[in-house]
Amino acid sequence: MARVVIMGGGVSGHTAATFAKKWLGKKHEVVVVTPNSQWNWIPSNIWVGVGEMKKEEVVFPLAPVYKKAKIDYRQALALSIHPEGKADSDTPYITIQYTEEGRVGETEEITYDYLINATGPKLNFDATPGLGNGEGQMGSNTVSVCTADHAEHANHELKEIFEKAKEGKKQKILVGTGHGLCTCQGAAFEYIFNIEHEAKKAGVRDNIDIKWISNESFLGDFGMGGLHMKVGGYVVSSKLFAESLFAERDIPWLIGAHVSKVEEGKAHYELLDGTTGVEEFDFAMLIPPFSGVGLKAYNKNGEDITNTIFAANGFMKVDAKYDAGAYENWKASDWPRTYQNPNHKNIFAVGIAFAPPHLISKPASSVNGTPINPTPPRTGMPAGIIGKAVAHSVCDMIKQGDEAHLHEASMAEMGAACVASAGKGLTTGTAAAMTVYPVVPDFETYPGTGRDTDYTFGEVGLAGHWIKHILHHMFIYKAKLYPGWTLIPE
Amino acid sequence: MIQPIKYYPDNSINVNAGPIRSFKENYNNMLTDIIDTMKEHNLDALSAIQIGYTYQLMVIKENEEYCAYANPRIITQNKPFDSTEESIYFKNHAITVKRYEELSIVYDDKNGDMKTKKIDNKEEASTFQRKVDYLFNTTLLDRLNPNQREQAIKALAGKGIMPDKTDDYCPTFSKKEYFVSVTDKLLFFMFISLLLPLFNISKETLDGWYTYDKFAFLSVIILMISFFFYAQYEAKKYKQCTSCQIGNNIGVMLKRIISSIILTIGSYFILG
Ligand SMILES: Cc1cc2nc3c(=O)[nH]c(=O)nc-3n(C[C@H](O)[C@H](O)[C@H](O)COP(=O)(O)OP(=O)(O)OC[C@H]3O[C@@H](n4cnc5c(N)ncnc54)[C@H](O)[C@@H]3O)c2cc1C
Repeated sequence: MARVVIMGGGVSGHTAATFAKKWLGKKHEVVVVTPNSQWNWIPSNIWVGVGEMKKEEVVFPLAPVYKKAKIDYRQALALSIHPEGKADSDTPYITIQYTEEGRVGETEEITYDYLINATGPKLNFDATPGLGNGEGQMGSNTVSVCTADHAEHANHELKEIFEKAKEGKKQKILVGTGHGLCTCQGAAFEYIFNIEHEAKKAGVRDNIDIKWISNESFLGDFGMGGLHMKVGGYVVSSKLFAESLFAERDIPWLIGAHVSKVEEGKAHYELLDGTTGVEEFDFAMLIPPFSGVGLKAYNKNGEDITNTIFAANGFMKVDAKYDAGAYENWKASDWPRTYQNPNHKNIFAVGIAFAPPHLISKPASSVNGTPINPTPPRTGMPAGIIGKAVAHSVCDMIKQGDEAHLHEASMAEMGAACVASAGKGLTTGTAAAMTVYPVVPDFETYPGTGRDTDYTFGEVGLAGHWIKHILHHMFIYKAKLYPGWTLIPE
Repeated sequence: MIQPIKYYPDNSINVNAGPIRSFKENYNNMLTDIIDTMKEHNLDALSAIQIGYTYQLMVIKENEEYCAYANPRIITQNKPFDSTEESIYFKNHAITVKRYEELSIVYDDKNGDMKTKKIDNKEEASTFQRKVDYLFNTTLLDRLNPNQREQAIKALAGKGIMPDKTDDYCPTFSKKEYFVSVTDKLLFFMFISLLLPLFNISKETLDGWYTYDKFAFLSVIILMISFFFYAQYEAKKYKQCTSCQIGNNIGVMLKRIISSIILTIGSYFILG
């Protein structure tokens, strides 16, 4: 009997665990170590953040699902990896610390034959002074929608702003990225338009100034160097699309911005052109930068080998080319295909947990030398696809031996579909459905643009909103492993 | 080397140009081609994409000097104004779009080093914005709202006059599209219903679909009539109503009404 341990039960980890168990059956063991008792469909947090959905609608308890699937579920945080075992045993193991009620703080070692790291991002609020509380958590100056709890809190604060606006007090809302090296602009993009939509619905839009701040060097970069969209039958760039959307909704923007410090009601920033400034706000949702979750690794002698397994940003090294060098040398083939750790063939990293070889957007620094560029997004669809491909590889290795052919899911050969909500409502909702192929531009196959423009398109409108809503139900249905769940694509 | 310039309606310029990643031989050749082409046609500015290179490079003639801007980005923009512009792509037809007078830009110079620049005069700023637009799959037409765009396309075809004012904003999505979108979905399912007898489906289910078809037919008629009146209202709101726009709306309406009639007749014979 082999044991597959999956650290992290989010989008990619849950996908990997459920498929691995389905393919491996009773003969082998699948263990999931994840600190939350509930699974969260993160994309819908946006709607929780504006009160259009309740937290309960975007989460569900994991225990019954894993019980049904016969997956061994440990509500715990993974702390360290010991790929060579310890002095008296060669069996690799991880250490975990329980977060489950009644066992909080308890630690345990779990041995594994195969390990999948799906721990996603650490929301690194403290990278920007004042964005965090100095203890690794979100501070009190801004809100976030990155977790369901954050989103619930954001909605509460937002409603207070709306109340003040109703009383005739002018309010200022700032939404965007809270650091020069953030990713996930798409989430902030959705949130700002949902706020605008809700403010209009509440009849307080006239009393609220809304402003966008982001580290993109052009609107609509989304960390992917931009994409094409189809709007009203015409193909337009995401730059024009985003600019029009902002102008139409009367939302001014600041781009190429690194938020350097946050204080109560104030965000200090530096722009790519070197200028600095302060943006005042009554309410701000600034996405924090992401880093690895801080897992440690030790060798047989107990020596710290974290640096050999993890990149400097804390994400796990996989089969990517990390020494590609200057921007001009970057290639699509630098991106990982199998997500296998180069030193330990039984360790994989999926979703946000793997270390990308480099950025996707063009790297940029301000004239003062501050790096200001979006880091590569790894959205839900690639995260799910990668999770499934790795589960497949691990199952084949278990069944056919370690030389089994590994399944590949390179982001440079993968398209992604993303539906960005710009307001919720059965008849008044709007969303932009965008597809891009490949996610990572391949400048050799598609000289110049790096993308296949025939496959890179999107559509904006009410239909997009319906799709987004349907996806919400579909993915929660899939994650609950209801009948036919395997038929729903990642 | 002088390269052929692309003229409207050649839509091969409708792509996002890729970033310049290397400033070596290919870059120098491309730059030379742009400058040679500018000299040949006596142009003050040209984007690489206008001669078929899908790269983010543009050249602006400033005081007799040809200045190259690679990977240009507009970081801040202030003081909007209506700018009436001509572009060689549109064979110098003048089109009025909204631009900004004050810009702060960053770009890479010939060595790939990032530079900054402030622009604060209307002519230079509008030229810069127009050329950057080309690099991001955006022509002057794309800066117009849908109604103005229709009008401009007609004018470019020699069948009307150019809109001479920008609107307050450039809507990306006209609400009338909701009507069209719902109608298209109803029609799609009407079409699907005609294929159902090919499968082993119970009579009750087929009856259900026949009822759907009847309901959908009625809905399409109502939706299209509503579409027409709403479109007329919207056209007035944007003050850019043209006869061609009315014609277009009638076209959209008739196409769908006729489709629904054909599908309903089909449904009557196949499912009814
Ligand atoms: C607000 C928001 C909106 C978004 N909207 C979209 C969208 O519309 N479309 C889209 O495609 N993507 C969207 N994304 C991105 C998408 O959510 C991510 O791509 C996806 O969740 C990544 O999956 P993952 O498994 O890598 O990480 P996650 O889903 O974050 O999962 C990581 C899991 O690991 C757990 N974990 C953390 N530390 C440890 C540890 N030490 N030990 C064990 N477990 C640990 C976490 O608790 C979590 O359960 C959005 C993201 C945000 C924040």
